[in-house]
Amino acid sequence: MGRYVLRRLLLAIPVLLGVSLAVFLMAAAVPGDPATVLAGDTASAAQVERIRHDLGLDQPLPIQYLRFLERLAHGSLGESTRTHREVLLEIADRFPYTLALTVGAVTLSTLLGLTLGTFAALQRGRAGDYLTMGFAIAGLSIPTFLIAIVGIIVFSLQLRWLPVSGAFSPASYILPTVTLSLHSAAVKARITRSSMLEVFGQDYLRTARAKGLRERVVIVRHALKNALIPISTIVGIQFGALLGGAFIIENIFGWPGIGRLATQAIFNRDFPVVQGTVLVGAVTFALANLAVDLLYAWLDPRIRYS
Amino acid sequence: MSGVLRFIPVVVLVLAACAPQATPPGPSGTAASKVGGSVTFVATTDPDTLDLHQTSNPVSSTIFGWIYEPLVYQDLDNSYKGLLSESWAVSPDSKTITFKLRSGITFTDGTPFNADAVKFTFERLQRVGAKSPIFETFKNVASMEAKDATTFVMNMKEPYAPIFHDLQTAYAGILSPTAVKAANDNIGRAAVGTGPYKLKDFQTGQQITLERNSDYKWAPALFANRGAPYIEELRYRVIAEPATQLAALDAGEVDALGLRAQDIAKYASDARFKVFDSFTFGLTYLGFDAKRPPFDNPKLRAALAKAVNKDEIVQVVFESKLAKAQCCPIAESIQGYDPKLKDFEQKYDPAKAKTELDGLGYKPGADGMRTSPDGKPWRPVLYTTTSDTHGKISTLLQAQFKTVGVDLQIKQLESGALLAATPKAEHDLYLNGYSWNEPDMFSLFLSCDRITSSNRVLYCNQQLEDLIRKGRTELDQAKRMQIYFDAQKLVMQESPWQPLYMPVSKTAVNVKIQDLRQGQAGGLYWHDAWVKR
Repeated sequence: MGRYVLRRLLLAIPVLLGVSLAVFLMAAAVPGDPATVLAGDTASAAQVERIRHDLGLDQPLPIQYLRFLERLAHGSLGESTRTHREVLLEIADRFPYTLALTVGAVTLSTLLGLTLGTFAALQRGRAGDYLTMGFAIAGLSIPTFLIAIVGIIVFSLQLRWLPVSGAFSPASYILPTVTLSLHSAAVKARITRSSMLEVFGQDYLRTARAKGLRERVVIVRHALKNALIPISTIVGIQFGALLGGAFIIENIFGWPGIGRLATQAIFNRDFPVVQGTVLVGAVTFALANLAVDLLYAWLDPRIRYS
Repeated sequence: MSGVLRFIPVVVLVLAACAPQATPPGPSGTAASKVGGSVTFVATTDPDTLDLHQTSNPVSSTIFGWIYEPLVYQDLDNSYKGLLSESWAVSPDSKTITFKLRSGITFTDGTPFNADAVKFTFERLQRVGAKSPIFETFKNVASMEAKDATTFVMNMKEPYAPIFHDLQTAYAGILSPTAVKAANDNIGRAAVGTGPYKLKDFQTGQQITLERNSDYKWAPALFANRGAPYIEELRYRVIAEPATQLAALDAGEVDALGLRAQDIAKYASDARFKVFDSFTFGLTYLGFDAKRPPFDNPKLRAALAKAVNKDEIVQVVFESKLAKAQCCPIAESIQGYDPKLKDFEQKYDPAKAKTELDGLGYKPGADGMRTSPDGKPWRPVLYTTTSDTHGKISTLLQAQFKTVGVDLQIKQLESGALLAATPKAEHDLYLNGYSWNEPDMFSLFLSCDRITSSNRVLYCNQQLEDLIRKGRTELDQAKRMQIYFDAQKLVMQESPWQPLYMPVSKTAVNVKIQDLRQGQAGGLYWHDAWVKR
């Protein structure tokens, strides 16, 4: 198992290098250079040129990329062209907020998705099934930003239960986390339902019931555990989607995460920060998927990694 | 203030030490009972840095404007008065300015303010300030001298009349040398000045908190309160989304917010808020790429300028609330504006526009749209920002041009891409604005040596160059204003710009804030204000 994990981690390195190169090339292709943006619209050409030189942007692209790799090898993502702070520091300030939001949304959406999906499967063809799947369709079709705005109007402005923006108190986490989780919960509910219905027809469930096990044990220990394998795949993939979704949610709720940092960095052509946030996102996604792969082995003892 | 303001709408709050409109009102209630409370503003983006030499970001300058103070400030009558300086003398050749500094002022780290600090600050600006909007100004400064603790001498290479404008901006605030050295020159989050507030907390991406400088006792005489401000804390909460900003205002999480036209009626009738309005030091204009055919022809520019209905733009886009139509390149809020210039305006006259276009060979085709003189289809392209406001104006201009048979195309670019596109002359027309409270704005936006940077219409006219040069070196105010009259007249006749409107700012403020007064440039004066608790 240890060797497998090490191999997966080593394999992630070329992937991350590929990601960094792709982001670097995309950044170079974007119209408008950082020096012009930083100098503002009243700057002279000489001023812009000096900033360009100070940032090393007057060097050929391969040299710029090699310098980026050199810094990376020394454990640095460079300096933000906008704030002059280490990119790692900028990310360290913000990443915990995004991670908290994403992990919270993954947890909530998984719990919600499993509960609703199992309930719908058990209620197949009845009102509970239609109601639950109706919720799932609504969760899938209503845009996240609309859910966010309605949430603010109802819970912050009408009921005055929750704050509108920021991450100043535990209550601040509720609206962004719930909003971010709804779409994902809907996906998981539908997959859980179909997965459970498939498992319900399996012989081992009939055997479990014939043994006289309580229905709750049959559902949770035998049906749900086997239905979890396809769902855990979705959890891994959706972790990345939720990281991406956090970009929108963070802007709406004034959340101080890397989503907003990245958005701001793109508009300001702060490419070291753009590269840094993308790399951190890629690493997080890779680790989340590795964790899911390891989870398979726990869920299905027939799966062994070596 | 930088023209970047056009791209990032923020609640711009000027230095607390700036001038109010009139004689300060008398205090209501005792000073001690007013002290306390907090006020929360919105910052639309994170400030990049509080190092005033390393930024041109208006959000940052708004915040460090509370922390640092400059040598002078600009009164509402546009005259300059001493803030950290008591007085100054200009040499007969206009190249040397000797400032007499105020004594008894201390930085918030306890060290004294003196001429050495001023020299240290401006030398640092010359060394590291390439991103500062006043960097170019200090390239004209040959040497500086701290003669004694309260005498600071600035020697310029050539006379430079706009120097006082540049010295009154937040970017010209004076640093504590001790604090800069202690922070190893890294003062992005370690700002120490002489201002009425000091930095308390910088929560990245979330909030910047300033706390009252209780030792502050050098507020200008124009305030009723000469001592420390009453409000204990000022907070800038970072919220990018306009809908969330409004919700935060409604929920009481934010106390003051600049309004959009569609929101004004709601807040004006809401007893929880008072709406303040003021002009800004800016102008939005329609420009023509004057370097490239066909708009290198001033007659064609003048003809199309006459197809622009400014009043309709103000009514439709701003509901006549957030803008005022302007005749001239210098907006009416800015020194140098002269109503007599209205005689030279390219006034809205579609019939005349059609006749002039016909005369220039741009004849209507079968579909009613004009072709170029060689018979080819003519579809001039207007470049502008992705802002909602600029989008609406562009659409309206498209409709107005259509009535004279011109098929205007619109290209909206994100601001970084737009800044990169214009020096390459990719555009035919350009819609944007400037924000600069100095008639020398001509040197930034219409001079020949800026056609590869901030002169977005690539206009170069030797006659205007001469006027710009004279205006920059003429310190006699009356003569200087005549120069800018001539410059405006020339620009209005040549029409590289058709001036459109001056933005008007409206800010909703929670009524718990008392004795708040109307300021200038979209700002409010907070030094006498206090929070009712």
